[in-house]
Amino acid sequence: MRISTSQIYDQNVRSIMNNQEELIKTQEQLATGKRIITPSDDPVGAAKVLRLTEEIDALDQFKRNNDLVTGSLEQQEAVLTNITNSINRARTLVVQSGSGILADPDKRAIGAELEQIKLEIFDLMNTQDADGNYIYAGYQSGNQAFSYNPAATGNAITFSGDAGVSFVQLSNSSKIQSTSNGYEVFENVLSRFKFSVTGSSVTNFESAKVSEQGTFDTFFDKNYDPVTAANNNYRVTFLAGNQAQVTNTGTGAIVDTVGFTSGSPFTVKGMQFEASAVAGDTIDFSLNPPEKKSMAQSLHELQEILMDSTINNTALQEAIADSLVGLDNGLEKISLERASIGSRLNIAESVYESNLDMEIAAKASRSSLQDVDYAEASTDFAKQETALNAALQSFSKVTDLSLFNFI
Amino acid sequence: MSGVDLFSLATSGVNASSKLLQTTSNNIANVNTQGYVRERTELQNSQVFGVEIGNTERIINVFAQNQLRRDITQVGELNSFSAKTTAIDNLLASEANSLSQGFSQYFSAVQTAADDPTNLASREQVLGKSESLYQRMSTLSDYMIEKEEELNLEFTSLVNRANSLIGNIGDLNRTIVIANGNSTSDQPSALLNERDQAVEELASIMGIEVRDSKGQNGAININLSSGESLVLDNGKFNLFELNTNADLTFTELQLATNFGSQTKADTTINVLESDLSGTLGGLFKYRNEVLGPAMRDVGQLAIAFADAMNSQNKLGMDLDGQLGNNIFDIPTFRGLAYEGTVGDYQVEAQITPGKGAELTDADYRIEVTNVAGGVPSEIEITLLNADGSAKKDGSGNDIVFSSYAVGAGFNELPGGIEIEFSGTSAYAVGNAFLVQPTKTVASAITLATERPEDLAFATPVRAQADANNLGNANVSSVSVTNTDVGGGTSQSAFDGAGGIHDVAGSPSATLGAPAQILFTAADSYQVLDGALPPNVIANVSGVTNLNNLLAQAETNGAGPAWPAAFSALDDYPGYDLSIDGVPRAGDSFSIEFNTDGFNDNSNALSIAGLQRDPLVQVSSESTNTPRTFQDAYASMVGRIGEDTAMANVSLASAEAMEVQSRNWFESVSGVSLDEEAANLIKYQQSYAAAARILTTAQELFNTILQSAR
Repeated sequence: MRISTSQIYDQNVRSIMNNQEELIKTQEQLATGKRIITPSDDPVGAAKVLRLTEEIDALDQFKRNNDLVTGSLEQQEAVLTNITNSINRARTLVVQSGSGILADPDKRAIGAELEQIKLEIFDLMNTQDADGNYIYAGYQSGNQAFSYNPAATGNAITFSGDAGVSFVQLSNSSKIQSTSNGYEVFENVLSRFKFSVTGSSVTNFESAKVSEQGTFDTFFDKNYDPVTAANNNYRVTFLAGNQAQVTNTGTGAIVDTVGFTSGSPFTVKGMQFEASAVAGDTIDFSLNPPEKKSMAQSLHELQEILMDSTINNTALQEAIADSLVGLDNGLEKISLERASIGSRLNIAESVYESNLDMEIAAKASRSSLQDVDYAEASTDFAKQETALNAALQSFSKVTDLSLFNFI
Repeated sequence: MSGVDLFSLATSGVNASSKLLQTTSNNIANVNTQGYVRERTELQNSQVFGVEIGNTERIINVFAQNQLRRDITQVGELNSFSAKTTAIDNLLASEANSLSQGFSQYFSAVQTAADDPTNLASREQVLGKSESLYQRMSTLSDYMIEKEEELNLEFTSLVNRANSLIGNIGDLNRTIVIANGNSTSDQPSALLNERDQAVEELASIMGIEVRDSKGQNGAININLSSGESLVLDNGKFNLFELNTNADLTFTELQLATNFGSQTKADTTINVLESDLSGTLGGLFKYRNEVLGPAMRDVGQLAIAFADAMNSQNKLGMDLDGQLGNNIFDIPTFRGLAYEGTVGDYQVEAQITPGKGAELTDADYRIEVTNVAGGVPSEIEITLLNADGSAKKDGSGNDIVFSSYAVGAGFNELPGGIEIEFSGTSAYAVGNAFLVQPTKTVASAITLATERPEDLAFATPVRAQADANNLGNANVSSVSVTNTDVGGGTSQSAFDGAGGIHDVAGSPSATLGAPAQILFTAADSYQVLDGALPPNVIANVSGVTNLNNLLAQAETNGAGPAWPAAFSALDDYPGYDLSIDGVPRAGDSFSIEFNTDGFNDNSNALSIAGLQRDPLVQVSSESTNTPRTFQDAYASMVGRIGEDTAMANVSLASAEAMEVQSRNWFESVSGVSLDEEAANLIKYQQSYAAAARILTTAQELFNTILQSAR
């Protein structure tokens, strides 16, 4: 082929330019450490890198959320541990206060100590987090979770927050509860089930009390009717042949018939009655509506009785029984809650670890898409450098060749 | 034979060599001249001895030249397309402009704020991040708006250049015809070179076909590749014009005829930009296929995001205890009148709140097809692509909504927008308007609030079990779907003053909004209002699950059933609750306004959850599954990257083709200095030899003279 002069120059300049362009591109890849400089270098890869970066950013945020929720759950666990310890101490004191040999000043001393424990628990129930939010107040975290009003009718310590609980996102699919409903943890504690005698026609009515609390609880649980109050009224009818029959006056159903000896106590469904009665006599009683009290409230009630020297021993024993049941039920709630916190901490940790694994995987695949292979790029660079050198050197050689130089 | 013959022989030889030397020297002198085609002088031996100087002609291969022109057109198109697309590609490559990063940061900030919803600093952070996200969007959008303006200037200057080239070629045609007539031997090669150069430059601007004129007089005719004539015989030519229709920034190309006739009026012809090719065609292609869609994609994304945030924020309660409001202001926009629609015809358009996920990237052509009392009653809606062509559905048909009934006020159109005909002139059938919801909107969205308190992170209602419940059931979730305050069918049970409807405020005459669920058995419940004593709204029995108790009451309630006054409304009361555990008879659950419930982060979690919700429509077909924000952005980046990569590859191959055909052309027509050097020596020697004939003749003459003396 015939080669014109401008072809020689064009060809040389073009190859130098091309080599330079490639060299600069490789140099940029080496300098930035990235294979994809602009999306057009690998459009599919660039879109994938965006998605992976999004995932990594999200995982990063999930890690921060996880740290936060772990901290908050650990704080709650510490609060509950403290409360448990205090209640255990209080329980010892309650049992001790039942001892018949204690004099009034001793009882008052125990009462004073119980008051301190009550205040401590009350404070713990109103724990605030680092930002000053009451952690058990629900959504209204600016307000105290529990309020103390000794003059109130009914409970002196009452829940004043709401049932709202917060959740924290730990991964794309899992949300974890970061706070608890203070009512559920502390106040949704049933106090001892009881019944009260409403009337009787027996001549010598000695006593009526719960003697077997477990049996009575089962009976109560099955039969208490919160809708129709009349269904909670019962009558003990003494029958001929030394029998006592318990019937529900609301429904007319016969609950049980037991043997009976006048003047001796008899027990039916965990309730112990003691009376002198003849056939035809009756005792009316009804199941007391169940009450819910926090442990602080139980301690509060017992402590008031201990401080009061006019209370007789029967009432004291009743109060001690009330408060022991209240504390036991309360501790049960707290251990439930601690178990729940523990399992949530476990979930948080396992999610944290799986997030870490996913982050590593995402970073690895992002790196394989986006990052330059230095070995390959340096080899390319060396190759392109050689080519450019050759182009530059051959340029002068080729352009030196002109017939005009020889004539 | 006589001695005189020797003299004339010598003269012709010297003249011929001189002419050859002149041609060679001319070739050497023009070695660097743009567009110069090497020349050759032909010699013939004379009938009467001696040599005759023939034509001096350009050495050119017309096929090589045509091939070169076609390749230049191709390179011109891909070059301009690739250069422009690369600019957007580079813009998207920058981390600082990455919308994806903006989204990530925003949602991270929301999650951080959700972890502690009462913390003002972290709320401030959310506002800051949303501002920076819109900064990124408007950077992209502004850049593209500027690019469009720039592009229009470029169109103008290219069209001017093309017109002056066309005029130039027409003039040169005429001059060449005259020159050809004057001289029969030599070509007017300088003029031809000049014309070839002008044609080559025109070929780089647009795809043309060049043919010799039928008159065989040396003139050429030029057509567009699509057939329209540009340069005609007799030095006549047609020129380009730029025009716009409804969208003043959307330039269109037209060709104006120039018949020069008294009887026939000149006219303008629309030119199909997609057939144009060349630099101009590349720019049009870039605008129609890359810039236009990208502008709309960013706009669509911006609106979808803003609308999703607004809608979710409205379902919440802010730190002032009020129902949430818009976080972002999405501007309304105006329909643009098409040519021929003259008068005070206004078309106001806006995004239908809450319908951002239905919005597509389409433009709307709205034509009035029926009018009642000067107000449109029926319209035809055509969804348009960025290049102005109709969008196609899955079966390849245009997406057109005919006889679409409209009335006073805002009318909802398909695709999440609504329009109002608010002009004062009487509308007429045939009035047509262009509505572009997404083209420039990303530059105009602003934050509606500066107050971090306005972020509604709490749910406006809370529900809880009553303290005296004996069952172990608890509220598992509360959902809010409507917080609309005020009358109308869209109203919710929220009164807008920190409460829910009582009997007086509610749409029913005797009942307030649901405020309590009372279980009468484990599988039946009553829905009660908040009055004292409460009124029974509905009774439900035979319940198999405890999810969405109010919705169950609406469908299954009996004796009394769900009140008609409630079910007549779109979504009343606008909230619902689910319960888990086993309730016992007598258990009750209360629902109340979440007064002081500032530590509630449930709506913030819902806002954060939008990151993974499919909220951006893919195409104008409603059957498609939408994508997430970041997915939509990633595929936009991928698409532009794909366009750029393809343009770069095609450009490289077109350039290789051009090199090849230029080599072909140059190898025929280019000057080779080595060749000319050889010719120079050769012609020098033939000149000397011819001159030697002269001296020989003279010597012969002298010999004769002396011998005669």
